[in-house]
Amino acid sequence: MSEEELKKEMHKLKEEMADLKEQLKDMTERKRSRGIYIDVGNRIHDYIGDVMEGVAEGIHGELEKSIFIGPRGVRILRKGEPYRKEEEIEVNFPKMAEVMSALGEEHRLKILAELMNGGKYVNDLQEKLLEITTSTLSSHLKVLEEAGLVVQEKVRGRYLITIPGRTAYKMARRVTKFVERGNNQ
Amino acid sequence: MIWQDYQIDSTISKATEDITLWETEKGIVKIEKGTLAIGLKLRDQQRGYVLHGHGELLLDAIVETEEGALGKPIEKELNKPFLMLGDTDEVQQHLTTANKEDLTEMDYEDSQKFVNEAEDLFGRLFRGRLYDYRCFDKHDGFVFAFPSEADELSILVTKDSKLVYKAEGMVFVSDRNKAVLKSPNEVVVVRGGKMHVVKKHGSFRHCC
Repeated sequence: MSEEELKKEMHKLKEEMADLKEQLKDMTERKRSRGIYIDVGNRIHDYIGDVMEGVAEGIHGELEKSIFIGPRGVRILRKGEPYRKEEEIEVNFPKMAEVMSALGEEHRLKILAELMNGGKYVNDLQEKLLEITTSTLSSHLKVLEEAGLVVQEKVRGRYLITIPGRTAYKMARRVTKFVERGNNQ
Repeated sequence: MIWQDYQIDSTISKATEDITLWETEKGIVKIEKGTLAIGLKLRDQQRGYVLHGHGELLLDAIVETEEGALGKPIEKELNKPFLMLGDTDEVQQHLTTANKEDLTEMDYEDSQKFVNEAEDLFGRLFRGRLYDYRCFDKHDGFVFAFPSEADELSILVTKDSKLVYKAEGMVFVSDRNKAVLKSPNEVVVVRGGKMHVVKKHGSFRHCC
């Protein structure tokens, strides 16, 4: 391509660019006139983030006035009812000791571990815990049942882990992990 | 005595052997040999019995959720007169006419005393609800009414896998993987292992 031809081509491109700019200007004005144009430029993510944060703060502020969101769910407080912190709730120490005592035996923890996978008949548990006799297994199940950690169906005879049982087992496992981690440090 | 189309027999029978009146994986109602029975007829068709003897109700009002089981099994000795409506074929096959000694054994001076008991129980269950029950058919499942120690009526209604049990302080509704357990302090709704708990003091919990 000669120098002359190149200049012509450049001039043509300049004209096309000018046309495009003009068209873009028209489009922007049309959008602005319909009232939907928001000039956020390249910071649209920041803008949405700011808006969402504002909304979230507003909702959180309103909820804080009447609802306590705790680890176990949502508690809607009645007007004027103060929220009681965990440490303010009266502790039933004898029951606590009974529950902890029920957890404090290796085979009983193994029984709970088996029941974490679903309801089981005594025979199923016996197959998994060959190191203990049937009568020992029954007595362990009785202790767990009395502590409210398992429940037995009277019709089918299956043993099921209860909600407190599952929570207690998870707690015991977590505490043990913490202790092990602490000992290794 | 007639309540609309229902009629209580005047003949008293007794069970010749132990009978299971209803049984599913959730519950059992059974009576022992020697239990007295008085028939309830609807338009001359046998529809149920009032029974008095020794028996047992077992009901696993237990709900399984992904977070663990809740509820409790119910064991109830049936030593007061109770009512059964539903399929009577099994019972009918194992009944014979009761004599005076059979009545005396259950502390009835004569047959009329038992008839009176049956009428009273039937009246308590049906009071104000005649229209609802008058078309009850043997294919409609079972209705049981058990008086408690406090003389409140516990009602068990079942059909196939569906079950409703209402007793003092609790309601248990169950159908396969769906269940509702209402106690004085909370209502628990479970569907496919997912649980919603609404507590009396106003908290709501969804567990998934």
